[in-house]
Amino acid sequence: MTCISRAVPAWAVARRHPSSRSVRVPPASRRPSRNILSRFEKLSAAIGRLGVSDLETRGALRTDVLGLIDHVPAGRARACVSLRLVAEALRPDRDRGDRQPALHQAARALLDAVRGYLASPKARDRLSVIEGPERSTIAIMRNLPDRRPPSVVARAESLPALALPNDTDRSLLGDFCDEAREYIESAEAALLVLERQPDNGDAAQTVMRAFHSIKGTAGFLKLDGLVALAHHGESLLGERRRRDGFAGRVAALSLRALDALRDTVANLDASRAGAALAYPPDFLDVLRELEAIDAEPGAAAVEHGGSRTAAVATARDGAATHSARVRLDRLDALVDLVGELVVAHWMIAQDPETGHDHPELARKVAHAGKLVRDLHDMSMGLRMVPLRGTCNKLVRLARDLAERAGKQVDCRVDGEMTELDRNMVELVADPLMHMVRNAIDHGIEPPDERRACGKPAAGCLTLRATQMNGQVVVAVSDDGRGLQRDRILERAQARGLVRPGEVLSDADVLDLIFAPGLSTAQQVTDVSGRGVGMDVVRRNIQALHGRVDVHSMPAQGTTITLRVPLTLAITDGLLVRVGEERYIVPTTNVVVSVRPERAALFTVGGRGEMVRLRHDVLPLVRLHQLLGVHGASEDPTAALLMVVGAGDRRCALLVDAILGQQQVVAKPVTAGIGEVAGIAGAAILGDGRVGLILDVPQILDLARRAQPNAQAVA
Amino acid sequence: MSAAAGKYLTFFLGAEEYGMEIRAVHEIIGMLPITRVPRTPPVVRGVINLRGRVISILDLRRRFDLPALEPGPTSCIIVVAAHAAHVGLLVDRVSEVADIAAADIAPPPPLGGGAHTDFLVGIAKSAARVRLLLDISRVVDADDLAAAGPDDGAPTAA
Repeated sequence: MTCISRAVPAWAVARRHPSSRSVRVPPASRRPSRNILSRFEKLSAAIGRLGVSDLETRGALRTDVLGLIDHVPAGRARACVSLRLVAEALRPDRDRGDRQPALHQAARALLDAVRGYLASPKARDRLSVIEGPERSTIAIMRNLPDRRPPSVVARAESLPALALPNDTDRSLLGDFCDEAREYIESAEAALLVLERQPDNGDAAQTVMRAFHSIKGTAGFLKLDGLVALAHHGESLLGERRRRDGFAGRVAALSLRALDALRDTVANLDASRAGAALAYPPDFLDVLRELEAIDAEPGAAAVEHGGSRTAAVATARDGAATHSARVRLDRLDALVDLVGELVVAHWMIAQDPETGHDHPELARKVAHAGKLVRDLHDMSMGLRMVPLRGTCNKLVRLARDLAERAGKQVDCRVDGEMTELDRNMVELVADPLMHMVRNAIDHGIEPPDERRACGKPAAGCLTLRATQMNGQVVVAVSDDGRGLQRDRILERAQARGLVRPGEVLSDADVLDLIFAPGLSTAQQVTDVSGRGVGMDVVRRNIQALHGRVDVHSMPAQGTTITLRVPLTLAITDGLLVRVGEERYIVPTTNVVVSVRPERAALFTVGGRGEMVRLRHDVLPLVRLHQLLGVHGASEDPTAALLMVVGAGDRRCALLVDAILGQQQVVAKPVTAGIGEVAGIAGAAILGDGRVGLILDVPQILDLARRAQPNAQAVA
Repeated sequence: MSAAAGKYLTFFLGAEEYGMEIRAVHEIIGMLPITRVPRTPPVVRGVINLRGRVISILDLRRRFDLPALEPGPTSCIIVVAAHAAHVGLLVDRVSEVADIAAADIAPPPPLGGGAHTDFLVGIAKSAARVRLLLDISRVVDADDLAAAGPDDGAPTAA
């Protein structure tokens, strides 16, 4: 049912949002397809602001308006049909209240503007070059006999098995899965917001939009089950939530509905690769529950209070058009190529031919260098994504786990907009999940136990992300019982990780949680406690040239901190010479380089070499020995000590000389060799030869093993 | 697994002639400067820059426990695709692409667990010579390589 909101008069909205009028005057455009699309987006947003608060109708309007894009080149007549539909939906006699004339007028003006524009031959030309993500919508439109969303919703008891019609366009299905995943992700984030702020209309709107959009596309793909689920999900979040509030059954069922959607989409996606297609196990249960709640009396009598949120939601719709979806492999290829360009340019700049004799050429090369650097920075930025999505998943996980374990937990997220290379985000997600699992399962106590210790019944889990010195630091903290030093030590001794009688510092004991096979859980649960976990976390993070540290106070909680570089693709490094070999030391790891005084060198126990540098005493690591290089300088006072660090560990590396600073594209060296300890990757140097990038954390580990006395390395 | 008939790239290590299925071969390149990779088994010569890609080079002499020999003017790197990656194999000399008929292929002789019998999938005999046919995916098996060359964390040179 169409219902016009009375809370915000349409003319007032239209005046406050001048963008809704920009449709009338199409500015000259260099990017025709985008501009037209954004104009249509604005149109549909404007219609939304006109006050149609019934989401389904507004969604249909939007769909129709987008549908125009496809129909116009084929003939204006059909476009007019769509426009008539829009006009029909906005017909004033369907509405009550005294704002109708203004509303009607505004809608007419907008539609006239679009009609006029679409009639021009210029628009026709431009409309033929639409590309990008909108293509799937357009493809949908093309196959759409009736542009209205399906009005008959399938019932759970008569739902046929999940299947795709034979003529399904597989690439369309892929687009659908991608889109659906994005919607589900945003909906999930919004649900978590709703949980904390049940009255947050924006968040509810986001979830409804997700359900609605999935419903629409699923309808075109004839996925009746998904349509039904999304339909009921939408009304659950809409009418039911407005009536009952977002709590209890509504909240729980929303999450389950979203999970069922996600699992179904995952199955659909897998089916493209040939997997058998079926609904996830609890799909029908969730659908039945949704149907039951929808059929309860009272659902039809709806108080519409969503106008305020509608304006916000549509404004966001408009903002979304300013981003484009790009295939990841293309993005990766671009970033790689730009990386190579940086190196290639560096080779030119370093060429003696370019240098002194041709100042004019040198100037041009320098100018090109600036552009290349800018391009490089920009291309790296393209792949940066905020950690928000990951944080949302973690909060959700924490919530689910706590519920299952009968614990209460408040999640706090700080710095969720911290950006990280997209590839990196995926790689840190698993370790972070392990960390959250541990915090809930082992860290936070059951409510009774907490009360007995004088703590609030609900535990607190904090996720904090920051960017620091080219690294992203993510800390997962809980205020639980803390790690039990004695239990860890006991277990480690039982497993032979620690010799009886061996004296370990507290930090060393805590560090044992990263040892393989050590678990202090008193009981094995289905989430963690199988003795795997933290060792995997450390291994995965080290593979990313990152580091994991643990801090814990008994009865106060545990913080596990993970540090990873922003990106794995490009390394800013110092090129050093060791004997005949050259290595790249990542600049982020380099603290300072010095040529030491003889007096600053000393040994510990006749074995561990140390160097005193100002206030620090650092272990001296002979890189040539560690890496087996011949012909390197043996005398630190005649060579150079490069102080390197990772996390809070430091050491002084003995190198022959620093040859220069260079940005390199890190490439793996594993093929046919496997992981090489101490080597993070390889890069092409200026002379075309391969240089190896040192993995400083691993070098520190190797050095520690080679010099067990040198405690300061730890 | 036994060797199939077809086209083989043959090459020499010392006096022995070996063959590998041509479809495993990506390209053949002359010697390029090799960057040594520390803490790897001796069979790994290092890595090279192949048009912007870093690929590792295995010394087939060392792989087959033959006497070591520094690369000479006829030395070549055969780049093969195996285990979803490219690996270069250092050989003394590339010989030819030979068509080997099924009738000429005999199963590998039971040599009593000699080091490189694992890689042998057949012996091609013709009037003039004997060629040892290799299973390249086994030759470049990373796990096997790690096992083959002891790397106990000690420096490879003092």
